[in-house]
Amino acid sequence: MRRYLKTSVGHRRPGTAIAVWIFASMMVTACDEITPTAIGDGDLPGEPITVEVIIPWSEFASNLEAFGGYGSVSEVGSGFLASAFAGVLDARTIVRFGGYPDSVTVVDSTGASRPDTDLTYIGGRVVVFFDSLAHTNTSPVTVRLGATQIEWDAESADWEHSFDTINDRRPWTQPGGDFVDLGSAIWDPAAGDSAVFPVDSAQIIAWSDSTDTSRGVVIQLTDPGEKMRLRGAILRVDTRPSIRPDTLVVVTAVNREVTFIYTPEVAAPTSGIRIGGAPAWRSVIDVSIPETLTGPSEFCALIPCPHQLESVQVSSAALVLTSSASDPAFQPIDSLGLDVRSVFDRAAMPKAPLGRSLLTDVTGRRVGPAAFGAGAGVTVEIPFTSLARDLLDGVDASGNPAPTSLVLLAILEPASIGFASFEGPGTAGEPYLRLVLTIGPSVQLP
Amino acid sequence: MKTRSLILALLLSGFGPVSLTAQSLFNAAGLGVPIEALDGRARALGNLGIGMPGASFMPTDPAAVARLTYSTATMAGQPSWVDYESEGGLSGSFQGSRFPLLGIAYPLFTGTMSVQVGSFLDQHFQAESTGSVDLVTGPVETSDSFDQDGSVSNLNFGFARMLGDDIALGITVGRYAGSVIRTFTRTFDGGDVEGLDEYVEEGQWDYKGVSVTAGVSADLGSSLRVAASVQVPSHLEAEASDDTDGEDGEFALPMQFRLGASATPAEGLMVTGSLSLADWSSTEDDITGATRAGDTNGYGVGVELSRARLFGKSLPVRFGFRRSGLPFSFDDATATERAFSGGIGLSLNSAGELVLAGADLAIERGRRSGAGITEKFWRATISVVVSSL
Repeated sequence: MRRYLKTSVGHRRPGTAIAVWIFASMMVTACDEITPTAIGDGDLPGEPITVEVIIPWSEFASNLEAFGGYGSVSEVGSGFLASAFAGVLDARTIVRFGGYPDSVTVVDSTGASRPDTDLTYIGGRVVVFFDSLAHTNTSPVTVRLGATQIEWDAESADWEHSFDTINDRRPWTQPGGDFVDLGSAIWDPAAGDSAVFPVDSAQIIAWSDSTDTSRGVVIQLTDPGEKMRLRGAILRVDTRPSIRPDTLVVVTAVNREVTFIYTPEVAAPTSGIRIGGAPAWRSVIDVSIPETLTGPSEFCALIPCPHQLESVQVSSAALVLTSSASDPAFQPIDSLGLDVRSVFDRAAMPKAPLGRSLLTDVTGRRVGPAAFGAGAGVTVEIPFTSLARDLLDGVDASGNPAPTSLVLLAILEPASIGFASFEGPGTAGEPYLRLVLTIGPSVQLP
Repeated sequence: MKTRSLILALLLSGFGPVSLTAQSLFNAAGLGVPIEALDGRARALGNLGIGMPGASFMPTDPAAVARLTYSTATMAGQPSWVDYESEGGLSGSFQGSRFPLLGIAYPLFTGTMSVQVGSFLDQHFQAESTGSVDLVTGPVETSDSFDQDGSVSNLNFGFARMLGDDIALGITVGRYAGSVIRTFTRTFDGGDVEGLDEYVEEGQWDYKGVSVTAGVSADLGSSLRVAASVQVPSHLEAEASDDTDGEDGEFALPMQFRLGASATPAEGLMVTGSLSLADWSSTEDDITGATRAGDTNGYGVGVELSRARLFGKSLPVRFGFRRSGLPFSFDDATATERAFSGGIGLSLNSAGELVLAGADLAIERGRRSGAGITEKFWRATISVVVSSL
């Protein structure tokens, strides 16, 4: 009998929709969840201990080796000048400008704007811009401008060669480049960040052929003992349009290619760690994290020794370096960003593939230039916690064997002619490993 | 609404743990705080989930399902707002929503089969602490937090049928499910050490176990209904995941007895009362830490005035009171919960005494106390029932 009860309202049941609407409204009520937080510390399981352990070089690292030649000077993207800096360093910047604009728009005698392609070049000037934060001189210096005379390659040119590629190696007729002097200018850092070199119409016309690969200017410093970075150069060309010959129109050609050449070449280090420069240097180290800690005594006073180290217990692993003075000629004049990466195949160095940066800061570990000069002896921490954890686990996050080598390099390379130097093993300031460990009991059921 | 749609709706709602967040600071004690899978009508009447007139759909009263003569789905939601204070002067508040009851019933053979997902234990809580550690480069601030995210649910399959017109029998076989993730995290702030990663120690356990619940209800005359049920559980097993260092666990669960009755002494007036008995003290031996396990014995009484109407629809008004113990508390203290309640029902479609489409709302104002902690809470329960002929 129970199964034959009849509904009192038939088969149209708006009530169903209303009920669902009520329920849905309820669903969003109090959706701003606030989790109860226990009162006091009593509900925390066993508190872990955080301790610091210093491990000397001999117990975690080996096979320090520096490799050079990464990147091309032209990849720096800016210029560099030096004249007998530190008694030895000479550096010149070479710039090739882009083509001139084909036409200009001028207002004719009727007042209408018209394009004019029939331009008469009557002269111009090269404007060189200096990096006001990266120079050694505090007083005015003399800078000279020259016009290159033979073909040159921005990608491979160096102090001795205009071309230095695999199948094409051509020396300059004289080291430091073949150029004809176009004059000089004074740059006073207190007065501004640029210097201007007038150029006559004949030279402007000579540079107008954009297919001519011998085109270019050489910028050199004549006052000895200084060095500075150039941000770039432009060529401003004065023209007279044919439809308004009484009007002077200035057009601009920006630098299409910029590089610098320098001497002497940088010799490989006999000891220590070298990072940066142009072309850049990298330093490679084999590392292993001790799986069992038997000291030091301060550690064993807190944690029973020997202690089997687990990756989860590593809160921080950092290589602590002590800066040393770089070759005076190649001391940085601006801060450097240091990076650290894992090396997938040490045997393939210098061309071994590298892992991603182990740093969280995309600008790298910044170190000021003074640390590599008069202020040498600064300790710099390079954290590589994730690699240390992988080394303890034996595999990385993807399940592949953990790399056992790391490389120290510039975050941008090449970025500057100057490089960073750090003490190597066997010295008072040899690198060491700093571990911050957090060790606690495993979580259990209540 | 077709039966298939009812089933689909239930599946989409998820068979996982039904508690989305916590309800009490006492979640931190032992296995947590029980969540009763009750609908809005039972909550409003202070009822413990048994012996109410008409048909109901709660795991605590398996025989009542026999009176569901149509395919039926029910859902309940429960937001709550809690203010707490301790003897030490600490105070604060928290809030959250949970969904203690989902279910469908379908006439089958000579009775009614049912599938229900009900909450059982809520274990979600956090604990925090701050401090500092001294490194060579100087002190570093530390923040420790412990987060327990878990609950135990009960997936029930039941069958109930009428014996004659007045007696109903029901049996439910349930499987405990759910999991708990316990995570300890230490974070570092400040100091000269770069890249100090947080320390995380975590363990995850999956719960499993079974229970059998049997019940009977009988109409004694036209105005009195009595019902009783007993639930016999297995041990609750907690199995650690492969990457968990913590050990497996096994916890004794108590038998639970329920007795309820309702009467209609006059037209438009219904009174109800219920009792619940469960002794959790044997669970204490399986629990570490300073936790006390006791009984959850409780009672509830309520009254329903059913003559009120709204826009021609029945709008029963309900009031109730209930009191029960909490199974776990801190130290050697006991903890109890008591609440006054009120609510209304909105019957949108009915067939005789069966509500085919309706909603029930309950509001409770209650208090939990024990171990120097007092919680005052507002708790709302809204449930909907939708049936298909």
